[in-house]
Amino acid sequence: MRWLALIWKSLMRSKRRTLLIVGSLVLSVFTVAVLQSLLTTLDAVTNNPNSSNRLVVRHKSGLTQMLPRSYEAYLRQQPEVETVCAIQWFGGYYQDPRNFFANFASDETTLFQTFREEFGISGITEAQIKDYLRDGAGCIVGESLAKKNGWKVGDVVPLTGTIFPISPRLTIRLIFRSPKPSDENVLHFHYKVLEEGVPRMKGLVGSFWARTRRSEDIPRLIERVDRHFANSAYETLTETENAFNLSFVRMLGNIGAIIQGITAAVVVAIVIVTGNTMATAIRERATEIAVFRAMGFSAGRVLVLLLSEGVLLVGAGGLFGVMLAHLAAGGIRGSLGAAMPFFADFAILPHTVFACLAGALAIGMLATFIPAYAATRRPITDGLKAVG
Amino acid sequence: MTADRFDLGGGEPIITLRDVAKSYWRGAQEIPVLQGIDIEIPAGSYIALMGPSGSGKTTLLNLIAGIDRPTGGSLEVCGHELNGLDDDELASWRNAHVGFIFQNYNLVPVLNAFENVELPLLLTGAGRRERRERVGQALALVNLADQMWSYPRQLSGGQEQRVAIARAIVTDPDLLVADEPTGALDAKNAEEVLALMERLNTELGKTIVMVTHDPKAAHHARHQIHLEKGVFDRTVEVNR
Repeated sequence: MRWLALIWKSLMRSKRRTLLIVGSLVLSVFTVAVLQSLLTTLDAVTNNPNSSNRLVVRHKSGLTQMLPRSYEAYLRQQPEVETVCAIQWFGGYYQDPRNFFANFASDETTLFQTFREEFGISGITEAQIKDYLRDGAGCIVGESLAKKNGWKVGDVVPLTGTIFPISPRLTIRLIFRSPKPSDENVLHFHYKVLEEGVPRMKGLVGSFWARTRRSEDIPRLIERVDRHFANSAYETLTETENAFNLSFVRMLGNIGAIIQGITAAVVVAIVIVTGNTMATAIRERATEIAVFRAMGFSAGRVLVLLLSEGVLLVGAGGLFGVMLAHLAAGGIRGSLGAAMPFFADFAILPHTVFACLAGALAIGMLATFIPAYAATRRPITDGLKAVG
Repeated sequence: MTADRFDLGGGEPIITLRDVAKSYWRGAQEIPVLQGIDIEIPAGSYIALMGPSGSGKTTLLNLIAGIDRPTGGSLEVCGHELNGLDDDELASWRNAHVGFIFQNYNLVPVLNAFENVELPLLLTGAGRRERRERVGQALALVNLADQMWSYPRQLSGGQEQRVAIARAIVTDPDLLVADEPTGALDAKNAEEVLALMERLNTELGKTIVMVTHDPKAAHHARHQIHLEKGVFDRTVEVNR
């Protein structure tokens, strides 16, 4: 028998209690890992480095209001602007209203240049782009979306509009791969389809996405664009793409504060539960601890043994919790990723794993140290007299 | 025979107590438990400490075993001045020199007999093979070699106490201290345990200090020391 065997056998003294405490730790660490990963995912949405060079120009009154497409000419004239793409959220579905994914009518001529990182432009050939540009009823889809629906190039996708009274039949001309899974849950088709099918959309668009040459120019450009269109019939609200995305995340409320609040509550609860369990377990072994010390185990050695038990117990709970969260992340990507594209990037990242494990171990140390220290400082003669 | 001085005969003393006192404090009130204890116990002795409840016999045993500290006087046990040792040194000293036998056996319930006996050896630096040999010898000495893999719950009280004795002797200590070792046993098992302790004294030369209320158990010792209100009352040499 070695030390680890001794620690293990002590932990297995009350299997039910050990299983319950590990179970509660698994659930707690799982909850914290998932919540913190959600925060990381949302943070990535609003701090996308690829977005740092892009601006979104929309109607000041909201996304449901349109802007004249003629604004595009002004935007293009600005020396800081490299390219501009007009984009309208179409909001259609494929076959079943529950089969929701992001789909847009967009200016096919500037789309690839404006979002070259998202489209993984280096993996797309000129011929593929030409195929799409040539076919007015063509569309492009991300690989994840194509896989989910079993689509391949050449397939026809009938899209049923929910906002606009048209149901275009679109032919897939390109399936692109993006560095981020969330950017693959999307479909784009020619803007013309919307303009020709919906007369009221003639010459109007929901938003312009402008790519600038340098991110440093953005604040000046925002101010200039909004000033230029101020007091017109179509006043603009220009913001960075990250700020635009943030406005969607904000619709969920102050989610960061909610998540941190829940995390804090879970951590406090688990410290109390673990501390109480370890205190009870150690108190029950008062006589045994005294016998160990009488046999020659120093107080320090007994303390290390007890701490090791606590850390092993909590460490196991933390490890299983993180593993469970990792498994759940796959489910979240699959189920929520289609409805809310940013969930397609949901993952338990290494820094979250590290924080959860370090936190669990710290809780184990804290919860065990106080009762263990007290037990090892108790006179041996008192421990031998203790019952239980 | 009653002795006027508490000199238990010839031989090199293994335990020397000089004016040892022990008091406890209840608030500001001092409660003396032992006072003026002077004694030399030669190596190889078998002593029964007797006396009524509260006479201080268990306290004296704890002081000799190094699990409690006196409030006055000095103790030299197994060649070490215990007052001069810090807590860690005292723990190492106990591991090397003292074997404990408790009334309630105090085996670790989640360890089998082998592992319980092996426990004190984990501190000695002995290798796995050496530990296995010594545990085997200790269990054979208490006639429990065939129960090596049994857990305490699978053993009778007498067997549990014999495992505890094997644990006490596995490090080959000079001194065995026993606090009411037969207090939880029936007469037959008590007799077996006492016979075993007697063998450890006579055949292996272990010095044994035993606290007991039981005159029959005390009769197995060579000397009985009676305490009364924290002081020595008398010693009796047992004629066997």
